Amino acid sequence: MLNTQSLPYCPGCGHRIANQNLDKAILQRQIKSLDIIVVSDIGCCGLIDGVVDCHTIHGLHGRSCALAIGVALGLNDETKHVIAIQGDGGATIGLQHLLEAARRNVNMTLIVLNNLVYGMTGGQISGLSAERFKAERVPEEKDVPFFDLVKLSYSAGAAFSARVVGKGKYEEVINEAIATKGFSMVEIVGLCTPYGLTKMKELGELGYEEIILKNERNCFESKRIEKVSLFEKVSKIESQFQIHLEKPYKIVLAGSAGEGIQSAADILAKTAMRCGLNATKKGEYPITVGTGFSIGEIIWSENPILYSGIEKPDLVIITSQDGYAMMKGRYPEIECIMIDSSISNELVSPKIITGDYRRLAGGKGATMCAIADWLRKEKIVPIDALIKCVSTLKYKEEIMKAITLV
Amino acid sequence: MPAVSLIDASRIITESCVQSGAEVFVGYPITPTNLVYSYSFERFPVALPAPDEITTLQWMSGFSSVGKFPVTATSFPGYALMLESINMAFMMELPMLIILSQRLGPSTGSATTGAQGDLLLLRSSISGGFPIPVFCPSSFEDAWFLTHKAIETSFKLRCPVVLLTSKEMVMTNKSFDTGELVPLKKLYWTAPDEMEKYQSYYTNGKMVPDFIPLGNNQHQVRINASTHDYTGLIRKTTPAAMQNTKRLYEKVIQQAKDFTFYEFQDSDKHDILLVSYDITAEAVRESFNLLHAKQKNVSYLIVKTLIPVANEISEIVSSFQKVFIIEENLTGLLAELYFGNNIPKNIFRINKIGEMINPQEIVEEILN
Repeated sequence: MLNTQSLPYCPGCGHRIANQNLDKAILQRQIKSLDIIVVSDIGCCGLIDGVVDCHTIHGLHGRSCALAIGVALGLNDETKHVIAIQGDGGATIGLQHLLEAARRNVNMTLIVLNNLVYGMTGGQISGLSAERFKAERVPEEKDVPFFDLVKLSYSAGAAFSARVVGKGKYEEVINEAIATKGFSMVEIVGLCTPYGLTKMKELGELGYEEIILKNERNCFESKRIEKVSLFEKVSKIESQFQIHLEKPYKIVLAGSAGEGIQSAADILAKTAMRCGLNATKKGEYPITVGTGFSIGEIIWSENPILYSGIEKPDLVIITSQDGYAMMKGRYPEIECIMIDSSISNELVSPKIITGDYRRLAGGKGATMCAIADWLRKEKIVPIDALIKCVSTLKYKEEIMKAITLV
Repeated sequence: MPAVSLIDASRIITESCVQSGAEVFVGYPITPTNLVYSYSFERFPVALPAPDEITTLQWMSGFSSVGKFPVTATSFPGYALMLESINMAFMMELPMLIILSQRLGPSTGSATTGAQGDLLLLRSSISGGFPIPVFCPSSFEDAWFLTHKAIETSFKLRCPVVLLTSKEMVMTNKSFDTGELVPLKKLYWTAPDEMEKYQSYYTNGKMVPDFIPLGNNQHQVRINASTHDYTGLIRKTTPAAMQNTKRLYEKVIQQAKDFTFYEFQDSDKHDILLVSYDITAEAVRESFNLLHAKQKNVSYLIVKTLIPVANEISEIVSSFQKVFIIEENLTGLLAELYFGNNIPKNIFRINKIGEMINPQEIVEEILN
């Protein structure tokens, strides 16, 4: 895999030894160069992509593991070996990615070169620096433990998690990691001669445990599943009723979230479509799903509808206090208001119809009950078009009951 | 009248993606693109829920590097997290589609309120002012066709592309006959001619290098997010590396004409022009009709390729005596994109936040 013995690292650097061990492991496994994809990122560890004859992709600081997940899932090929390399700085930036790779047991290897410091920026400590090492440099940090990547990786579900303290020879550990089907992670604790430790002996005194932990799990695959067109999943509505609208008719439903306002708006739009009309349906609600107001705006028109907003409704149906609060001051003119009798109304309109919709049909049926009442009274479209529309619904019983109460 | 469906543009965009050859959806759900997210899991051959938006872009880049076209959908908060990784994909020259649905900001703002507030963010997404193509549908037909064109452009330029939408554009339902949509051609990578040696960013005089997937059995591929030359290896500011970096700008600008789309309703008398994009285009089209009914002669321009700004767009705008730029934001981001901070005196802005601009408001502004 290495295409040169002249590696671009400082004399004595642990990365050099790590590269050589990786190379030996790959030679032992007799893996062809073009079956290896090295995914590297920022830091001295990223210099590897210039000295290998396999595929390389060099990304952002701390993201090589995430990028490698995408490569591995995209390839989905057991004959290919995706090997991500990052430093201790990158490992903390991208800790989530390590956990995600382990959780899914993605078929790839992550090698973390932990030289205790950020080498490229002057030797600052990292989240993987041992307490004893930090105590001399940043005493405030001496009691903050380092992330134990091996235990994190193992507990998140990785097939193989190991740490070696970077002495001369550890290619067997890397060999086993690469041979593992699933996610394998090897943390290699090593020297950084300009900024970190310079002696192997000191490295061995920092409390990093050499350990291998394994989980027996299936690895995650991105299986390709062909699915049907989204257009086949929506119902086609045939025009069955003939009606004439002089001008577009604009309806606003105002009620509470969870009380079927958006479903009622959907039914109203489809009712118009059964009458050969064009329709739009716009929803408005707070980000909470089950509380607060819910507003549905529906436009019916014989002509194509260019603009789907409503500034001057022909009809506003209000079935809850939440909806009423949203209608106050919203429109300068409303042609007709239908409002539940439980609401004390101050809105002005030439036509106001009050009904016991909530009492009759409950909160969830009130709006459909009011719609049916309105259609029976005003006959803008045939009530049969509404009934036909409701009859096609999966959960139609409650709605059908609500529209027959008045 | 043919049988019609009550559908939203999210469904159309998602279907268009898959029919155009996109194979993978990766995403983290966020309002108002949550419908695209949900539909994508129903439709894409591969769909993955990422734990966050940075991961999303990284996984997409991995898929793209092995030749699988990826799509995601997000809104401003998610896009902000993706930004560094979008720069990475741009530098690596990895095609992908990012669907961005605008909502009211700043910050998390109001997730369920529409807005048109992200245009200048998109223009400045890439460090150094490099443009990423931004397409912007203004109708259901656009949602279908422009999505396809966005993916086609992404392939052709080897570049991430954004499809800019907004809450009402992707969530409002309309009666629509999907049978009227033009059939789409599936897009895919074609293998370059046989070559003895492949270098990942060698262009052989073209603007865009040939693509061979990472992991192939014939040629070593080197992909790089740092400054690199044609080899794909990190370089500092060598002439070859700078040439490669400049090419990333030129490949988009030089081919802009090929992917510039707009709708120009010209009234012949170049007196008043209404300019808009995205959801506000609905109001502009209706106000055009209302104004003509009042014998007021106006033209309109709906811009569908927002970035880069093609010369023909500038030529149309500059040929009118009075131009009204209509946007659902506070200060006029398209106006700023076109004219900077010194807006000429013949350029007028109609802006609003928190609710849609309605046709009557436009009519009143024009008549006053």
